[in-house]
Amino acid sequence: MTELLLQTCVNAVYAASFMALIAVGLMLIFGVMGVVNFAHGELFMLGAYCVVFVYADREFPFFLAVMIGLVFVGGLGILMERALFRPVRDNPLAGLIASIGLLLMLQAAIAMGFGVRMEHLPPPSQATFHLFGLDGVVVALQRLYVIVGAGIVLVSLWLFLRRTRFGWALRACAQDPEAAALQGISINGTARLAMFIAAAMAGVAGALAAPLVRTYPYMGHSVIVTAFIVTIVGGLGSLGGAVVAAILYGFVHTFVTTFSDGVVADIVGLLLMLFVLVLRPTGLLGVRERD
Amino acid sequence: MLAVPVHRILNREPKDACPDGVRDDGNQGEKPMSQNLHQRKIGRRTFLGATVAGAAMAGGLAPARLSAANKTVKIGFLAPLTGPVSAWGLPGLYGCRIWAEQVNAAGGVRIGDDSYNVEFVSYDNEYATDKAKVGASQLVFDEGVKFIMMLGGDTWPGVQRISNESGMLVSTLLPSDLSPDTPNLIAPCEVHPIYNVTGVSWLADNMPELKTAVICAQDDALGRPSVATYLAAFEAHGIQSEDPVFFSLETTDFAPVMTKLLSSNPDILCLDTAYADFVHPLCEQAHQQGFKGKIISCTADYYEQIIEKTSKEFMEGFIFQFPDFDDPALNEPQINFAAPNEFYAEYIERWPDQWSAVSWEYASIMDLWVQGAQRAGSVEPQDVLAGMKQGGTGKHAFGEASWWGKELFGIDNALVGNWPVVVIENGKAVIKEYRSIPDWWSMHGNLLVKHFTEMGEMYHQRG
Repeated sequence: MTELLLQTCVNAVYAASFMALIAVGLMLIFGVMGVVNFAHGELFMLGAYCVVFVYADREFPFFLAVMIGLVFVGGLGILMERALFRPVRDNPLAGLIASIGLLLMLQAAIAMGFGVRMEHLPPPSQATFHLFGLDGVVVALQRLYVIVGAGIVLVSLWLFLRRTRFGWALRACAQDPEAAALQGISINGTARLAMFIAAAMAGVAGALAAPLVRTYPYMGHSVIVTAFIVTIVGGLGSLGGAVVAAILYGFVHTFVTTFSDGVVADIVGLLLMLFVLVLRPTGLLGVRERD
Repeated sequence: MLAVPVHRILNREPKDACPDGVRDDGNQGEKPMSQNLHQRKIGRRTFLGATVAGAAMAGGLAPARLSAANKTVKIGFLAPLTGPVSAWGLPGLYGCRIWAEQVNAAGGVRIGDDSYNVEFVSYDNEYATDKAKVGASQLVFDEGVKFIMMLGGDTWPGVQRISNESGMLVSTLLPSDLSPDTPNLIAPCEVHPIYNVTGVSWLADNMPELKTAVICAQDDALGRPSVATYLAAFEAHGIQSEDPVFFSLETTDFAPVMTKLLSSNPDILCLDTAYADFVHPLCEQAHQQGFKGKIISCTADYYEQIIEKTSKEFMEGFIFQFPDFDDPALNEPQINFAAPNEFYAEYIERWPDQWSAVSWEYASIMDLWVQGAQRAGSVEPQDVLAGMKQGGTGKHAFGEASWWGKELFGIDNALVGNWPVVVIENGKAVIKEYRSIPDWWSMHGNLLVKHFTEMGEMYHQRG
């Protein structure tokens, strides 16, 4: 039983790390730009396809593919901000619809370029480690990549937001864009930076997890649904809330899957969201907006 | 909802499915794409887009072959060509294209006094009920097909009413779709999931030391009847099984599922009828979490890739039900599939790494359809159905078979006979034996009924 509990905890840490990478990016876009980016799952998908193209098809090293995924998807994020979200900045509904349109275009583009079947990615490593000296507690190196990658990215983001002028500018824009603009902060530049960071986080999540998940053009769909649950539970606009909610959701979903089954776990995940919304309508760490 | 396949946008088949247009008849480009587009009442932009796409493709179109056939019969192919279930649709369409080319090149099919070229009209239902309904309507009423081949499962309810009202003959790979309310639905090739009992039976006979099993499946119309079948088979052969573990179709991480499965330290890991997209990560997780027993599964599509992700040693002895058609055992005299080894070679040459469980099945159903049509002397759906069931027997791909199913499905519309047990040996799928499904049923049929009933999968329990 101890081994089962520990293995489940290890699985939950992976699930939380994976989800935090995606949900925090989604939250960052919402916080700074006020856009509900439905295409965020497709940014995750593009990161995975960068690995397909660079690592699986061209046989370059895996981590080079991950870096290319980060830069490429981050760059696409900048493009999205300029071409898609900036023209409709004052209209959240238009931003949402624009992101849905982009989602369909990205799915179609990948389906045309790579086909619709699940991609085969040879594992970069088959190494596994037994934790705590127990045979029944195993973690694969590939899953460690995701856990460590998420840790590095999230800590870096936290330091960036807390310790750098660009980070302060981002937070200022998230809190009050007009006041930030009056202080000389470029709203456009800040939005561009937020979009790059958020897209790059989704891209790196997709790239690191590509050998572990089903990589196909519509893979973003299941991810975005969970990411929305996490952001709502965490509290809209709260990056810390997104991390806490990702951890909570990851543990709850993984434990319910292990001790009941996956179908029940999905239902419990939704109930968790309802439960939190009933008790705290603003989410775990969300702040009530002033009228 | 958000997963819109490419061909919906461009109003044409997905690239993988049909690079040469809407028709799959072997005589590529016989019907102009523009005609089909006009029938669908499309907008100007879509038309222009499709025209550009069509013009781009036109360079690749081969001229129609000359043929002795004087008529054309259209056959509908209504299956998932995109999405996670596409492995059980798209490869079947590829097989049909080879079949049609061979038949049409030989002068077509002689039925009554006429020769017919066979033309496949495909529609991607994305394994969605509503899309299957639209597809069936289009195939029956717009295209005038005489027979529709489906994967079935969750998509059949969308087609049932159209089939019943129009009298359209429809085939499914999943006999669990059959009921007394489906008089025009037949399962002439695959008796999923009943044939899975042959794998368990073979395993019990050859590895009697394995006594405990766990089962996992996606929670849908493919997974649940299959779970009932495996539970019955394990019970019949004295193998103790834990409660089955279900996971949702949206599952991305299979580590928790596998942790639960392996927590009871089973001898046998049963992957049920999990989709190919699920079998791969499940095997990978089983390997990573140190499973040492035997794996049994309905399918092992693209198993070479699973070996690459795990190891040859790990996959040694993996039991499933679908052979590669280069297997010498398919040349035995009772096999009713023309030149299986050559079919496989042609298939692999054209679509490398695309061979799946269904690559041959829809083509095999077409063989049975031709037999039925020739017996009836007509291509009309009800005549062909009567011709197929004439005498209560038919030539199934793996030998003589009987129309059966009343006890389990309420209707004798499943063609049941022998089925192969396939085992991976040294990295290659090998047919170990053909086992009789009717023989197993005569000994253990009550268990199958019991577990189908407990799972709510008997025909009278389904909604």
